[in-house]
Amino acid sequence: MSFALVALAEPAQVQGQVEDELSRIPSEAPPAPPAAPSGGSRLGKLQRTLYLESATEVEQLRSSLDVPSPSPAPPTIEQRLFADLVLHWIPTRDLTFHLSARGGFRIGEGIPFPTHENIRADFRELYTSWKPFEGAYLDGGRINLKSGVAIGYNPTDFFKTRAVVEPLSIDPAVLREDRLGTLMLRGQFVWGHGSVTAAFAPRVASPPPLYTNTTLPALDPMFGRTNGHHRFLLKGNVDLIEDFSPEALFYEEDGAVRLGINVAQGLGKKIVAYAEWAGGSQPGIAQAALSFGTSTGSLSTAAAGNLATSSATHFQQDASVGLSYANESKMTFWLEYHLHQAGFSRADWRSWFEQGTGPHGQLLSPLLWFERGYAQEEQVPMSKHSLFLRADWTDAFIFNLELTAFANVDLYDGSTLGQVTASYAVTNLWTVSLLSAANLGSRRSEFGSLPSYFSALFAIRHYF
Amino acid sequence: MSRANAFRALPALVIAALSAGAWGQTPAEIVARADEVRNPNEAFRFLSTLTEYVSGKPQAQNVLAIFSKKDPRTGQFRNLVRYVEPPRDAGKAVLLDGRAFWFYDPASKASVRISPQQRLIGQAAVGDVLTVTMSIDYTASLVSTESVQDANKKPRTCWHLDLKAANELSTYARIEYWVEQGSFQPVKAKFYSDSGRLLKILFYRSFDTWLGGLRPTEAILLDAVDSSRVTTLKSSEHRLQQIPEAWFQREYLPRLEAE
Repeated sequence: MSFALVALAEPAQVQGQVEDELSRIPSEAPPAPPAAPSGGSRLGKLQRTLYLESATEVEQLRSSLDVPSPSPAPPTIEQRLFADLVLHWIPTRDLTFHLSARGGFRIGEGIPFPTHENIRADFRELYTSWKPFEGAYLDGGRINLKSGVAIGYNPTDFFKTRAVVEPLSIDPAVLREDRLGTLMLRGQFVWGHGSVTAAFAPRVASPPPLYTNTTLPALDPMFGRTNGHHRFLLKGNVDLIEDFSPEALFYEEDGAVRLGINVAQGLGKKIVAYAEWAGGSQPGIAQAALSFGTSTGSLSTAAAGNLATSSATHFQQDASVGLSYANESKMTFWLEYHLHQAGFSRADWRSWFEQGTGPHGQLLSPLLWFERGYAQEEQVPMSKHSLFLRADWTDAFIFNLELTAFANVDLYDGSTLGQVTASYAVTNLWTVSLLSAANLGSRRSEFGSLPSYFSALFAIRHYF
Repeated sequence: MSRANAFRALPALVIAALSAGAWGQTPAEIVARADEVRNPNEAFRFLSTLTEYVSGKPQAQNVLAIFSKKDPRTGQFRNLVRYVEPPRDAGKAVLLDGRAFWFYDPASKASVRISPQQRLIGQAAVGDVLTVTMSIDYTASLVSTESVQDANKKPRTCWHLDLKAANELSTYARIEYWVEQGSFQPVKAKFYSDSGRLLKILFYRSFDTWLGGLRPTEAILLDAVDSSRVTTLKSSEHRLQQIPEAWFQREYLPRLEAE
């Protein structure tokens, strides 16, 4: 009876399709990957990720600026060669050790050679984790503690400040990879319906001044950048209802408190909505920069006094609110609004340009650019309101080619920082990338006033 | 369906119904029995080696450690996936917990929430392909009984089932599913998008005894959109594993080890 049915259900066309499907099945087993699991336990073995990367960057600078940038100007060509190493060792099920570091060599226009400036080493992480009982963890050492659910700007990522040194790209995703951890003790408890984390990072060094391209230390762990203040973080999330688990944060730095909330929620099959908020008492970005400059000795009190800024400290909010959308063609899009209330308003920008181009412009321009350099090191937006757009396309046109593009738009003047990256995994061990970025806008706009107009970077990476 | 086609298909549907009835199984029971063949009931862990072929040539390989545990509330498997190879991806981790999906990248130390659609972009989606409990996520009806060729071109007498998504978040809108009569071994499946587009064709192969049953150890995914693309998934190192509920918290992802 069944065979009679087969005749009914499988006309010749269907039979042809089936044979076509079967002919696509690979007949031979492929060679095993170089480090394929042998079946033995990985406990006690050292897990290593090591790659070597060569990055060549060229930069086109603007011929003139309304507010001249203080020297040194960014190099128009720079070559970097570095090794990036991550070691992870699990001697027992309850104990792990972790090391993450990057070191290498650089030469470029304006960088003296041969000097210590040609050597760069970043000791990102070195810590140990102990699990006293299931769900409980104690970590100690230099740890990269990241918080937040947004893509372009994370107001609740309190340990991001001053943690990035000489990044290869201003892509927020790359900035998160290239950053230093903070020396801290961290305790965490994770259970079936939530988690709670407490971290204390002591002050172990004085905050150093802002670095320029020619004053970067070669082999310094730079604890002053990450541990220049006593800092404490308490955060936790609880599953309030199915699939909804907001995170609340309490952060204190030298007595100043900031609160935060993170929420991410799926909307159907293709959309994720997320929001991140932080608030606390703090001065405006210009006043914070000048206070930092005088406290680190970068600026004299008299010089800082030349800039009229409000010294008022009041409750200021930061937020990232966004959506992601993924389609069936392996493309994902993000749209994010950023609020940084301590940042520049339209009037602040007008004042910034007026002071920089006024009769005392030559005197004030170093101070004005100091404000912007400070915001960059703090990893906060310069403007109060901005928009972030990003698109990723996996297997674009050909297998293993990933295209990424993002734009950061100042909502006051429409100026834009845009970047496009093509990254191709040639094999499991080789990757080549081409990146181009541009600061677009009028001469008196946030991004149009920057010294760099266009840059391109070509990188080759080999994993060992 | 035209009236003529409807009449032509009628005997097939009647015979198929009689055939299923002869085995004493409803379509839902057939799919449930096939689920039991594919995966054990207990929490377990295994390695999956993915090989991606383009035009018949292997182009890339990934090794994933997959931890699976049934959600006592839904009966659906929840998966934790940790990338073991290649070095470029080692340490990445994905939480696939019913409706909540999170991706962790050790390079950025960041966990980001991803949508059901977005999870299909990465290799971690194989965790779902291998462990999806079709009897829960889909409503089955019997189409016919057919002799179909399996991945080794051996004819097998199968129930041909049509599975419709039981809820809006089911990964695929529709699945055609072929299950061998008697053994309840899954032989083949076709996955369709919301728009009715055929996305993937899946063959099960290399049945072997692991964790108390004769189960498939290899799956072959044919990309129906790009006919040059094929992915093979070989599973190994299966073992029962205690998986605490805490592991399904996003904060646990950075601590997930391959062991």
